[in-house]
Amino acid sequence: MFILKFCLPSILVTSFINPAFNHEGQTILIYFSNGNPLTLESILYGISSGVMLVTILLWFVSLNRVMTSDKFIYLFGKIIPSLSLVLSMSLRFVPRFKAHMFSVAETQRCIGRDVSSGSLISRTKTAITILSASVTWALENAIETADSMKSRGYGLKGRTAFSIYRFEERDVYAVIWFGFCGLFLLAGNIVSAFGFRYFPNIRYAAFDITTIPFYCIYLGMCITPFIINAKEELKWKALYSKM
Amino acid sequence: MNMKRIFSLILTIALAFCFTSCKGNYAQTDLKKPMTIPESGIIEKKILDEIKKENAIAVFEGNSNSIHYEWTIFGSDIKNTRDINLSIELTETDNGIKTVMNESSDFGFPLLLSIHLNEKWTEQNASAYNDGKAVYSVSVTGSKTTILNIPIDKVVSEFTIAPVTDSYSDSQPQTEKVYTEEDIIQTETVTSAERDEYLSGVNNSDNRIYSDGNATDQDKYKTDPVPEGKPMPVEPENQEINDDKAFTCTFSIECSTILNNLNDLEADKREIVPSNGIILSPTVVTFYEGESVFDVLQRVCKKNNIHMEASWTPVYNSAYVEGINNLYEFDCGNLSGWMYCVDGWYPNYGCSRYQLKDGETVEFRYTCDLGKDVSCDWMG
Repeated sequence: MFILKFCLPSILVTSFINPAFNHEGQTILIYFSNGNPLTLESILYGISSGVMLVTILLWFVSLNRVMTSDKFIYLFGKIIPSLSLVLSMSLRFVPRFKAHMFSVAETQRCIGRDVSSGSLISRTKTAITILSASVTWALENAIETADSMKSRGYGLKGRTAFSIYRFEERDVYAVIWFGFCGLFLLAGNIVSAFGFRYFPNIRYAAFDITTIPFYCIYLGMCITPFIINAKEELKWKALYSKM
Repeated sequence: MNMKRIFSLILTIALAFCFTSCKGNYAQTDLKKPMTIPESGIIEKKILDEIKKENAIAVFEGNSNSIHYEWTIFGSDIKNTRDINLSIELTETDNGIKTVMNESSDFGFPLLLSIHLNEKWTEQNASAYNDGKAVYSVSVTGSKTTILNIPIDKVVSEFTIAPVTDSYSDSQPQTEKVYTEEDIIQTETVTSAERDEYLSGVNNSDNRIYSDGNATDQDKYKTDPVPEGKPMPVEPENQEINDDKAFTCTFSIECSTILNNLNDLEADKREIVPSNGIILSPTVVTFYEGESVFDVLQRVCKKNNIHMEASWTPVYNSAYVEGINNLYEFDCGNLSGWMYCVDGWYPNYGCSRYQLKDGETVEFRYTCDLGKDVSCDWMG
């Protein structure tokens, strides 16, 4: 749904916007009314930058799913305790605030103050009440959290934190595998095995025996989390059916 | 732990493989380091074969009588290869630079000869002639000292390069000639002789306003005072185009300065630089009364399928030519971009504000040094 609702339109928009402002490229298709050419290269570059933009968004969606705040604290809690706490708290704050505001709004609706009906002025008044209640709650909550953390000695020397993560043998494999892929792809980048240019004409590295390994490794790296998850899923299904 | 060993083995092999077996095969035109022409002047066939195979751009440099010269060879131009002799003898004479080529038969592919003089010529044009006949077209560039760029296709063993005093037709008042539809001919390359013959028959009335040179302040579009005797800008909104009256002008687009500054050129653009520096050789084009240089540029580029991008700049009330033939401003150093000159003068206002007159000569030239290398002195 996210892909349909957001990704496809943004690819479309960028692929239209780019050729409207960028007229570089050797293959002239037609001319705009102001005399500048519409080029094939700029259209393709628009599509590719749209896909790139969406890819970055998807990366962040995945990061959000994978990097929960406890993982974040586990990783950075010792190195930069205050910053990682602030980060994880503020990251958590947005969804929490949203949920709280929603519940306040629902409560207000029960006593007849509905934001979705009535005159503009009364609706604004209700909305302000809800917002002020939520903000007060958020501030109070922040103070309480800070007090609570302080009383539990967060950030003090010698304080230990419990986490369920351990560095196991499989993690060693993962580090080696991703390190290998990273180095390999870096090397590929140095020898411009992924070289691709759009302007002034489209040129790219030949897809042959010298570059295919790089593409294979890249595919392997990208597909690794998928394989791990799928394997776990299968295992779970198998165990579940035996019960 | 066995897996670990296998992994590290794969890693070593793979890294060794990718550093040794593949080199950058991303289609790029290489720029080779300048090579010195040997004493004998002979460039061996195998060197040319290599340039051709790598699709590189190579520069060979030499000296003759303390005049430096360079040959630029594009690998994409090379067809047949053999040992060629690139040494030339240059002598300064009263008539100009006498050039003697030691190669006797044709190279078989076009080359560019750049002669770096030790002085600065004031003239913007030069001709290479032998027995009173023009043999090569010469483009005069260079900021501090003059560089002569001569595209060489056929070998003429001896010729002289001399500056040409700029003589343009605008000094004499002319009467008008109106063309019919049939006269609106296709563009064609002309020799200067043909052009002169043509111009002597054509005259047009002069209702253009010329600068008296008295202005001291900038006008409202930030244009410095126009020098005395030069046409005043005509704002695009005031230009009335009369489709019934067709005139002609000579139009050319060239970028030979890039060939003298290939090191500054963006690597991606090497491929699209014409090896002789000429994007559009001098061509007689038809335009209609009241049209500006920009209107004509747009039409010429469309007609000849040359890429051109321009953007309207309200501050200067003119279009700004960003790039022609995919060579954009700043592509060859920070001081590079397109400039235009009409009858040897670089107007100090935008090309949408220059209303063309019959028989004028418009040149669009790429500069790599704020105009200094294309004999424009008022910039910077």
